Amino acid sequence: MFARIKSEITLWRTIVAIILVTGLYATYIRFFEGFRASTNLSDQMPWGLWVGLGTLCGVGLSAAGFGISAAVYLLGMERYRPILRASILISFLGYLTVCVGYLYEIGLPWRFWHPIVMWNHRSVLFDVCVCIMTYTTVLTFEFAPAVIEKLPWKNLRETVLHYHHKILIGVVLAGVLLSSMHQSFLGGLYLIARGKLHPLWYSPYMHAMFYLSAIPAGLALTVMAIYLCMRSLNVRVDFSILSDCGRMIQLLLIVFAFFKLLDLIGNQALGYAFQFTNEAGYFWLEVLLFLAIPITLLSFESVRGNPERLYWACAFVVAGFMVDRLNVSINALQTAMGTHYVPKWSELASSVLVIAAGVMAFRYAVIYLDILPKAAPKPVTRWIGNAGLAAQA
Amino acid sequence: MAQEKGLLIDIKRCIGCLGCETACKQLHGFGTDPEPTLSDTAFTVVEARGDKFVRKLCMHCEDPACASACPVEAISKTRLGPVVYNADKCIGCRYCMLACPYQVPRYQWTKLAPFVKKCDMCVDRIKAGKSTACAEACPVQATIFGNRDALINEAWSRIRSDSSYVPHIYGVEELGGGSVLFVSDVPFEKLGFKPAPTGNQPMPTLTSSALGDSPKVVIMGGTILSALYWVTQRRREVALAEAEEKTVINKIKSERS
Repeated sequence: MFARIKSEITLWRTIVAIILVTGLYATYIRFFEGFRASTNLSDQMPWGLWVGLGTLCGVGLSAAGFGISAAVYLLGMERYRPILRASILISFLGYLTVCVGYLYEIGLPWRFWHPIVMWNHRSVLFDVCVCIMTYTTVLTFEFAPAVIEKLPWKNLRETVLHYHHKILIGVVLAGVLLSSMHQSFLGGLYLIARGKLHPLWYSPYMHAMFYLSAIPAGLALTVMAIYLCMRSLNVRVDFSILSDCGRMIQLLLIVFAFFKLLDLIGNQALGYAFQFTNEAGYFWLEVLLFLAIPITLLSFESVRGNPERLYWACAFVVAGFMVDRLNVSINALQTAMGTHYVPKWSELASSVLVIAAGVMAFRYAVIYLDILPKAAPKPVTRWIGNAGLAAQA
Repeated sequence: MAQEKGLLIDIKRCIGCLGCETACKQLHGFGTDPEPTLSDTAFTVVEARGDKFVRKLCMHCEDPACASACPVEAISKTRLGPVVYNADKCIGCRYCMLACPYQVPRYQWTKLAPFVKKCDMCVDRIKAGKSTACAEACPVQATIFGNRDALINEAWSRIRSDSSYVPHIYGVEELGGGSVLFVSDVPFEKLGFKPAPTGNQPMPTLTSSALGDSPKVVIMGGTILSALYWVTQRRREVALAEAEEKTVINKIKSERS
């Protein structure tokens, strides 16, 4: 008995248990003791890790859904259809984590619905709220067939899928526009912080920079997720698709690097990168992780052609992207706000809990729904194969 | 229409007695201990800068960054001058705090139902025809309350009659102007007044251009995407038709042979 329990305790299960316990405790502190007890936020740093990691990274890393669905549905790049559902699922779960995170972030979470009825069309945050709500609905719609096709009622299933298919293209098109809009509006949020945000990041074109950096990061996360599914969940995807994604990511990163450089020169901010300041350090960390290393790595055929190496190249993209978003939301503000902010453990624990819940949901969706093409487990294949042959004969 | 009210703060006259700060705290029922900076229980403070005293409070901008930022329009500029906060609408996103160029709005970090707190220029007293509590408490007329136009005239007459004043009224044009005006005998930049990030343009102009472009982007993007989809569909149809044709021809050929 004891030995059996012991064999059930694996490293990853222990980690999940720790995330669950600390995350739930942090959630309790947040909702029953308030911000002062659960965060290091202050009047000088009103937005911290929850906005930086939960919202900016969460939405940015969910950008693959609209990219791949545009490619497949609108541009007819049928080659990417095998990874279409996975990318939509990642976006869908990513946006759900953002919506849950929103409840942690706002001071009066029971008023989460206010932006639906109280409009301020001049506010970038209002536009972000509306776009995220609408796009989450669109993603639910795009993802719905994966669940509907598993329903036991044949007539209902077919009717729903029939009408679903009829309006799908319109919804996809709206989704592409919506997510393009709010990916950039997330950067637009900081347009008004002129004079506060460090010049290495502040730009009148921040919204465009956010848009350009989100797409490669979202693709990179999708590649990572699919690689992990192939390794552990018996998923079989033609690797050349991921390889092509790697090439695409590299191209998009080069485009971003080009515009970032132009932007820095245009704002006469390049000089700040060569000063001996914390900000310059964070800037170069971002350049190294998000641009220099992945662009170099992905230019090698031996990296793009090898699943594990491609995975690590994409991991650099994702990590670098997160550094970029945290730089904008925290590091670039500290000097002007005259404060030093280090997130409290409970801010990190609750964010990690929400992200972990998303990852778990992804795992079980891949196992129980038809998200990615799966190779049947080997012994069963042989058995069914024999039966099938027998039936055919 | 009611005329826009305002406050004129004269840094040369201020003696740093903290009368305004105490009166404000008393009015709102906060403890009367002075605080070093603005907080959720201190809507105005008097900061010492060298041998001068500078009041900090909401500048009540004409086109406020906080009001443009608020997603639910909980903050608005009234015709009477004050920039007021509607606690019933607020969701607690704190974007106003990030947006404010003067870092004025404060948050009740310790509360379970926290709200934003800032000076409301005693809007209820103004509506009742009274002056603000801070102006009423000032013993040396370093803070005076009145119609904004009249205050600007008063400021200029003080500047003209005394050559030690800096010939500038802070708050008339900065960031599009506001209802709170400052005059001083020491240059403003030496008193902690930061250069206005958008000069004399209101802060909301920073976002309005990006937001104004979005309908164009949506219409253009929608058209381009629809066109691309049409091309994709057409190519698929053509490919299908060609393939069909081929199979028919092949069929005929095979039948003939």
